[in-house]
Amino acid sequence: MTTPPTSDVDLFADEVVLDPYPVYAELREQGTVVHLLKNDVYALTRYAAIRDALMDWESFSSTSIAFNPMANEALTGTSLASDPPVHTQLRATLTENLSPRALRGLKGRIEAKADVLVAELVEKGSFEAIDALARAFPLEVVADLIGFTGHVRDNMLRWGQAAMQVIGPMNQRTAESFPIAGELYAWCSQVKASDLAEGSVGRGIFDAEARGAIPPDTAGHIIHQYLGAGVDTTVAAIGNVVALFAAHPDQLDLVRENPSLVPAAFNEVLRFWPPVNAWGRRATRDVEIDGTVIPAGAQIAVLLGAGNRDPRHYENPDAFLVERNPVDHLSFGYGPHGCAGQGLARLEAHAVIEALSRRAKRLVVGPEVRVPSNITRSIEELPVLEVIPA
Amino acid sequence: MRIVVDRPRCEGHGLCEEAAPRLMHLDDDGELVLDREEIDEADAALANAAVRVCPVAALRIA
Ligand code: HEM
Ligand code: SF4
Repeated sequence: MTTPPTSDVDLFADEVVLDPYPVYAELREQGTVVHLLKNDVYALTRYAAIRDALMDWESFSSTSIAFNPMANEALTGTSLASDPPVHTQLRATLTENLSPRALRGLKGRIEAKADVLVAELVEKGSFEAIDALARAFPLEVVADLIGFTGHVRDNMLRWGQAAMQVIGPMNQRTAESFPIAGELYAWCSQVKASDLAEGSVGRGIFDAEARGAIPPDTAGHIIHQYLGAGVDTTVAAIGNVVALFAAHPDQLDLVRENPSLVPAAFNEVLRFWPPVNAWGRRATRDVEIDGTVIPAGAQIAVLLGAGNRDPRHYENPDAFLVERNPVDHLSFGYGPHGCAGQGLARLEAHAVIEALSRRAKRLVVGPEVRVPSNITRSIEELPVLEVIPA
Repeated sequence: MRIVVDRPRCEGHGLCEEAAPRLMHLDDDGELVLDREEIDEADAALANAAVRVCPVAALRIA
């Protein structure tokens, strides 16, 4: 057994967060585990080790999912940052309203909304896809789901972005985002049932608290997690749908000719460009992986985006191919903490892909604009110049 | 061999059903129902695929 290889790569440098895949390829070739000296983290780079680590909560604790101590401190007590057995209880209340069972009633409404929005945009012919679709749609869906009205609705995007940004290391982006993430936290600490629309899922969470079905004072925390984990990620994923289909018209044709490929197409979008590329854990003991040892206490960076491109697991991993249907991609995590909102994310994205592939034959786009960000990798602006209707 | 569901963990994502519709389905309430208790050789690959695809690792082979 040896110590893992080391690297001078800075995972959170602007050029790396903008396009991490060349760096991931380099690290993956160096080893399954690479010690990144600049970030003082041990990166997991290959598919099999990542999936095993996500399953092994006893060796890899979620008490350090963020790359700075302040954010980990702030997340204490949430499902995201807890280990079993506490996590198991928290997760149950969190997923009760998000499981596909709970969401079945929303499916028709979400599909209808996506279709109206996509029809309008195709009709218009040119639009800025991030504001008009990737942001507009999930914001509306999540706002209606939780029952937000008024100024909260207006703040959802800012708050959601900041909540992800502060998961990064203590750099300038994180420092600037803490006060904004704090606004979200403060609002969630005082929100009352009457602030949320009647009949909404958010209102239902408060009813559950009043009935004693969930512990006192948890409703606000649950809503906090829905907003923190569910907005920025979904916005990124839908923006990526538009960009990848614009860049690969042959793949859009495949989906239009065979709409049963819609779920497969979303899996491939998530595999190819995960909204979250790197996520934290803490080693609770010395852990041996492929002959090298991660020391107890080490901060881990789980490189979901590197695992998704591992040629040991996916053939021709740098190609975007909807027919490969990579159901086991790592972009929602896996195991006990596997994304609690994936049912909702799928509902939203499937509705958008279905409407887009049915209504648009080609999307002609201008250059995409990206802004460096710590955790969520998303497109900031994507001008659609012309839509050739189907 | 047989498939075992960790009930508290299963959230009804239904990806297992897509992978192995012959072996399991979600009922009208979205609860997972195993249609075959005992899995024979011929269905072993399907069963393994269902276990593998569950995003929250709620299935295992025993
Ligand atoms: C495409 C969109 C999404 C992506 C890529 C995504 C990604 C992830 C990932 C990677 C994790 C695992 C974290 C870990 O292992 O520590 C996670 C957990 C979580 N996600 Fe998502 N997510 C998405 C959408 C959503 C939505 C829409 C919601 C809620 C409305 C949501 C709520 C959660 C929650 C509450 C957790 C924590 C679960 C736990 O700790 O048990 N996510 N997500
Ligand atoms: S995929 Fe997993 S969570 Fe979903 S229904 Fe099957 S066993 Fe349950």
